[in-house]
Amino acid sequence: MAIGARARMVNPRLGTYFSIFAALYAALFLLVLIFEQLSLDDQLLRLAIFAGPIFIYGAMGLSVTTNETLCFFAAGRRVPAAYTGLLLAVSSLGATMIVAGTGLFFFAGFDAIVLLMGTLTGFVIMAIALAPFYRKFGAFTVPSYLGRRFESRVLRVATAAVAAVPMLLVLSAELRMGSSVAQRLVGGSQGSLICLLALTIAISTAAGGKRSFTWAGVAQSIALFLALLTVATTVSVIVTSLPIPQLANGPMVRELVRNEVNEGLPLVRVWPLAFELPPEGFSALTKPYTQPFGAIGPLAFIIGTFAIATGISAAPWLLPRVAASPGVYEARKSLGWATVFSGLALLTVSSVAVFMRDFTLDAVRAERLGSLPQWLSQLAAGHFVNFDQAAAQLGFEGLKFDRDGILFSLPVAVGLPSAFLYLLLAGALAAALVTASATTVSLATVLGEDAVQGMSWEPPTASNRVWVVRGFIGLTALSGAALAIAAPTDPLRLVLWALSITGASLFPVIVLSIWWKRLTAGGAIAGVLSGFIAAALAILTSELGMISTPSPIAGILGLPVSLGLAVTLSLMRPEANRHGLSIVRDMRIPGGEIIYDREMQRLQLRKHART
Amino acid sequence: MIERKERKPYWRHTKWQVLASIIPFVALVVILPIYSEQLNANRFLGFPLGYFLAAHGFFVVALITVASYVNRQNAIDHWHGAHEDM
Repeated sequence: MAIGARARMVNPRLGTYFSIFAALYAALFLLVLIFEQLSLDDQLLRLAIFAGPIFIYGAMGLSVTTNETLCFFAAGRRVPAAYTGLLLAVSSLGATMIVAGTGLFFFAGFDAIVLLMGTLTGFVIMAIALAPFYRKFGAFTVPSYLGRRFESRVLRVATAAVAAVPMLLVLSAELRMGSSVAQRLVGGSQGSLICLLALTIAISTAAGGKRSFTWAGVAQSIALFLALLTVATTVSVIVTSLPIPQLANGPMVRELVRNEVNEGLPLVRVWPLAFELPPEGFSALTKPYTQPFGAIGPLAFIIGTFAIATGISAAPWLLPRVAASPGVYEARKSLGWATVFSGLALLTVSSVAVFMRDFTLDAVRAERLGSLPQWLSQLAAGHFVNFDQAAAQLGFEGLKFDRDGILFSLPVAVGLPSAFLYLLLAGALAAALVTASATTVSLATVLGEDAVQGMSWEPPTASNRVWVVRGFIGLTALSGAALAIAAPTDPLRLVLWALSITGASLFPVIVLSIWWKRLTAGGAIAGVLSGFIAAALAILTSELGMISTPSPIAGILGLPVSLGLAVTLSLMRPEANRHGLSIVRDMRIPGGEIIYDREMQRLQLRKHART
Repeated sequence: MIERKERKPYWRHTKWQVLASIIPFVALVVILPIYSEQLNANRFLGFPLGYFLAAHGFFVVALITVASYVNRQNAIDHWHGAHEDM
């Protein structure tokens, strides 16, 4: 069989390189495990598993330096589907959904499935309705796509301004979550760790832009999955004798159903629009694990699913990722891989939460029958749990767990060596780096391409283009760090706000730009701006207590406003844009040349003709 | 390269495929949480059925939806000559 031109473009040694990285990472873990048994200094081991991988990520990012536009902005359009999918999955989840997500599963139980359903629905919508067409267009950023699709510079700049807000929120959330994970690993002040992480991101991405991010990001994603699956599988084998944590926790869930209510956890009912997330810090369990709608109401569950889904499918830090895949068919396949990886990660964290709930149930029972188990004091020493040592009866309400410590308390509760805890912390840190790098590179590209150069279609020379974005990568990392230090906010809330703002402002316009030919530039501008303003206002008024809709899902109220205005304005003032129509027609067909490249060539020819 | 007269049938075929993939999936997003409480009365592999379907079941359905869409859409592309030039 003949090998296609696109298949030839992909580096055939990718698998070898990343296998070497995985082997190195596993070797580092085994070394730490061995030296821990040999009683080597604990601080040294923590530092090795913290700094070793960071050094490798930095070296990987720097070793693929490039000044070529296509490599810098789209990783040469030769990233295979599986790697694109892996990056999409981990960039969408980040440390927030992994670490705080485990906490959400632990506290809210069934209701936390909103994260899983939202993420998977987001990827399904992206796979079917957006990604293949975006890949055919081939733009490096969402504002560039919308600007060229409607031939409107105003739309390009407006979208750039709107898209920057959620990206900055996600960046700040990930830096904060990453720094609190790093603090558990090596200690130190949160401010200095945030700066260190921002520096790592700038070093590992500035040299080669999206190409550097792809190399370092895939390694970081592998680190996350190695850590998560190693710990969860080991615990699963110890507790259930089966190496499939995602499925083997069934008997544990059955145990929870039978006994949690008997041991004093009340069945809770909340109103249909409630969206009660466990706050950052320590709190006690309030509802049985499998009882639906005890923290998130049924209506809020469905709205929340769509808020997360629309946010993920139109995210300006995720969608341009597919422009780096070798073709439209590969772009579709990459979303299949993204579904696999994100589902696997979220089912694994749900199993971690179930194991921890089972341990908590055991602790409550043990206390009733006699004394508290030993692991509970170890967790208290590690600041994972808080309880009154002098209390006569603790029960469920006396045990207060740190939401962002649930994931890391499992290896301690099972009694595994500390190396497993360090591995998990390093994995979560890698997840924070992936999402923070994805948002940094995407935001810097948006600022460099669409904000600074937004009013001119003709891009500057290749090296200027690359250097402007390099400068913005440094600036973006700095602003993210400044925001994370100056305004510390719960990362889970920040990410949910960012997703609902994206879903309200960009999702309707991007979908209509592909599926509805009559959408006009005016309609698109009105849609993007009104959606953003409505979402921001809804979140703000909800936070101030002026409306009763909870703020994590309030933003999505902007979606109908955006959709309605975009459609009404397009119908009221139709525009005849023949070039725009021909772009839509071409975008809908997978074959043929990449539209963005064709447009750039057209601009260059025009420039030559003028000179 | 796709022929001019094939463009309309290609897009009609694509639209039906997209609707057939997305509508049952979105319907599931709405229906599954509503009935999960009743379904929880039954058990599967130790899990309450509502919880199992909303977590593991939904993951499998999402995978099948994307995989079948990719497979079918690719066939539609080839049928109408709209596929990428390899």
